[in-house]
Amino acid sequence: MRRRSERMRIKLNEKEIEADGSKSLLNICRENGITVPTLCYHASLFPEARCRVCLVEMNGKLVTSCSTKPSEGASIVTNSERVVKARKLNMELMMPESSCKREEDLEVCEIYDEVGMGKPRFPQIKEYKPDLGAAVIRDDNKCINCGRCVRVCADVQGVFAIDFASRGHNEHITPYEEKHLADVACIRCGQCILNCPVGAISERSHVEEVVAALNDKKKHVVAQVAPSIRAALGELFGMPAGTLVTGKTVAALRRCGFAKVFDVDLGADITVMEEACELLWRFENGRVLPMITTCCPGWILMMEFFYHDLIGNMSTCKSPHEMLGMLAKTYYAKKAGIDPKDMIVVSIMPCTAKKFESTRPEMKSGVDYVLTTRELGRLIKMKNVDFASLPDEDFDPVLGVSTGAGVIFGATGGVMEAALRTAHKLATGKELENIEFSEIRGMKGIKEGSINLNGKEIRFACAHGGANARKLIEQKDKYHFIEIMACPGGCIGGGGQPIYRDPDVLRKRTEAIYAADRSSTLRRSHENPVVKKIYEEMLGEPLSKKAEELLHTHYVKRSRF
Amino acid sequence: MQILHKTNLEALERARMLGSDGVLSLLEGKGLVGRGGASSPTAKKWRECRDTPADERFVVCNANEGEPGSFKDKLIIRHNAETLIEGILIAAYIVGAKRCFIYLRGEYDHLRPRLQEQIADVLPRANLEGVSIEIVRGAGAYICDEATALLKSIMGFRGTPMYRPPNPTTEGLWGRPTLVGNVETLACAAQAVLFDDWDANLRLFSLSGNIKNAGVYEFPLGVKMSSVIDVARPQRKLKAMSFGCFGGIMPVDENMSITPEAVCKGNCKQGNYSIIFIDETNNVVDISYSIAKFYTYESCGKCTPCREGTIRILNLLKKIRSGKGVKSDLQLLRELATHVQETSLCNLGQTCGNHVLTSLEHFPEDYEAYLAKKK
Repeated sequence: MRRRSERMRIKLNEKEIEADGSKSLLNICRENGITVPTLCYHASLFPEARCRVCLVEMNGKLVTSCSTKPSEGASIVTNSERVVKARKLNMELMMPESSCKREEDLEVCEIYDEVGMGKPRFPQIKEYKPDLGAAVIRDDNKCINCGRCVRVCADVQGVFAIDFASRGHNEHITPYEEKHLADVACIRCGQCILNCPVGAISERSHVEEVVAALNDKKKHVVAQVAPSIRAALGELFGMPAGTLVTGKTVAALRRCGFAKVFDVDLGADITVMEEACELLWRFENGRVLPMITTCCPGWILMMEFFYHDLIGNMSTCKSPHEMLGMLAKTYYAKKAGIDPKDMIVVSIMPCTAKKFESTRPEMKSGVDYVLTTRELGRLIKMKNVDFASLPDEDFDPVLGVSTGAGVIFGATGGVMEAALRTAHKLATGKELENIEFSEIRGMKGIKEGSINLNGKEIRFACAHGGANARKLIEQKDKYHFIEIMACPGGCIGGGGQPIYRDPDVLRKRTEAIYAADRSSTLRRSHENPVVKKIYEEMLGEPLSKKAEELLHTHYVKRSRF
Repeated sequence: MQILHKTNLEALERARMLGSDGVLSLLEGKGLVGRGGASSPTAKKWRECRDTPADERFVVCNANEGEPGSFKDKLIIRHNAETLIEGILIAAYIVGAKRCFIYLRGEYDHLRPRLQEQIADVLPRANLEGVSIEIVRGAGAYICDEATALLKSIMGFRGTPMYRPPNPTTEGLWGRPTLVGNVETLACAAQAVLFDDWDANLRLFSLSGNIKNAGVYEFPLGVKMSSVIDVARPQRKLKAMSFGCFGGIMPVDENMSITPEAVCKGNCKQGNYSIIFIDETNNVVDISYSIAKFYTYESCGKCTPCREGTIRILNLLKKIRSGKGVKSDLQLLRELATHVQETSLCNLGQTCGNHVLTSLEHFPEDYEAYLAKKK
């Protein structure tokens, strides 16, 4: 494949500039401060040039800027009457009336003004039944066939749950055999939601149920907040990406009426204790290796659909919020003298798959409802809480003391890093000196490293994004310990997080997570006083019978069809 | 007919003697151009495919003859498949391909056994090591005429076009350089290599519509319309002719000589010379409506203007025919058709407004007649 990479002179809106000929016109325009509206284009996906909104004129011909590269000396016009008219007409043709509403935080609304969209000119033809899944909902009537969900599902996630069907104006996006999403091999990761510019895909909302529970005087409603929420929630209230809002989140939840606010980081610390012990136990007793982490319900589903021969490799640990939910209904309920039946546990998660996870019968879940970051944002707005001016508050200490090891669960590689910090202490009796594993940090698809425990080398690797997971599984036998997160970037890029367009947002959120770790006084899970207390008072020791009963689960084989 | 002359593997023998450069300059000298409609020089395309560095190359014969009113490929497959196969083998020999495909139109499935027989007969005698020819059956999609959609279909994906560049000649099947050639082009290539008196000027015309003698005929470029009409034998006075579905509709002028330039003057495209004759008993709006129906059904749905534009054009024509049309509908029709042509991704979208634009230009009275019939 030949790629031109030489610099060339081109004319951009009457201005002579030098440009990189291997870049698309769209990128050249954006680098030169010219906004070109886009819909089917996403920086992290392969351009397909479906929507035809990013049109520009090159040498007098209309071309899509996302898929076209300049020729030497080309003259490019981005704002002629012809371009503006063509963009507008394509928008008018594409937008069904039901999608024309100006809803906030929809990407399509940002470009309404850029293309000069007015009232819809053409009557709606589409008529589809919405697909009401348990975790992810699709409404084809709003869909504009940009295909970003299809591309992210196939190319980034490697799941292939949805694709186009039919031809011409009947073309629509659908799961296998026009079934519901809930009935096909969909891992509920919600990446399609993040990529939908018109809001045709969304999470199954539980805000109403939670509000009803909050209004019920007989119920004791507690919230528990996942590590990655604090690095992203601020974006919904106009704060820059990567702002840490831990204290404000706690305060906001109290204002919304939650009786107690717990920290899932504590659940993560307990997960680390259980998982590190399980790893060492497997290692010493010659059990199935590599051991694969199970904090990510999207990955669990992927394994159950596509790789169920790996069930023996999966750690039996529940995910952190399921562990904490269980402890809330046992440990905390007993301490506070509350009947678990009157308690409602609401998890605030960056994830749509967690909604599915908490309904799994094998899980015997303690969590009643799962709200995504976006849903929490809506709840806070609904309760008229002014988020930005809230004071910082602390988690309720009974289940709210956590370590830096728990926080980094939010980023890819974090679970493994936290587990290794503790495994080292458990195996050697000595604390690890350098507890920052830079080799498994960052946005590289597959990362690997090794550590020496009592003279034995433990090789570990982690992957994020389903397609990377597939690659890592191919070569799993090289490793002893594998962490997989279904979403790009780990939980900070989860399907329930605020919608972002710039992939750099993920990096900023990750930095915030690691900054929170660095500023923690406790950075190893086994140092957490509450963890010690819970083991002393209730569980005994990691992998004990009681811990097994409350904190561990099993998995099932699922058919792809 | 020249196209039915058989080459009996002598063309391949000659190609071997001339070597690949020799064949390419021979084809260049004889002026062989693609017969699928785009009329690009064949030798240039072959050379580009040959000279792109790659570990593997493919040759694909596009036998997905989907254009309404075109049936010349059927004739070739039925009566001169051995020459077509030889053309494919010459192409494979020149570009250095091992795997060759014939993408056969789904509706031509009855031709498959015959084609298979011919392949089994010719291939062993050709003595080309490791070269195979597979027949891939299309599933009836018009869009798979388009090379990129066709290749996707061969690879097992949904047949939807991709933007170019990259062209299939540099990045085609599984990312490798792939030569996609029309049935007529490949058969002609074999003949051009072998016969010294091969005439590059002869074209196959598929004639159909309101005429007695529908069928495939061979005429030289620049033939007088009157002599074509003499052969076609219309029953009534001819009013219009449509070049397939995509080329547009223009009035029949007996004195015109049929060349791409002359057709272009009527804002039409000659394409692969499939002419549908329309006589005076027809209203051109009805013809345009049928064509719009075809495009609405055959649009793949990938890009916005074609997916949404074709159905809006159809609905407008429906409205006009039902007598509910108003003058401004014609303006909107023109705007939509131009827009779809200008902003669509592939050839289907870029030509699917031709029939509307040309019929509006040449036969405004037919539209007026419907508007006047207001209910």
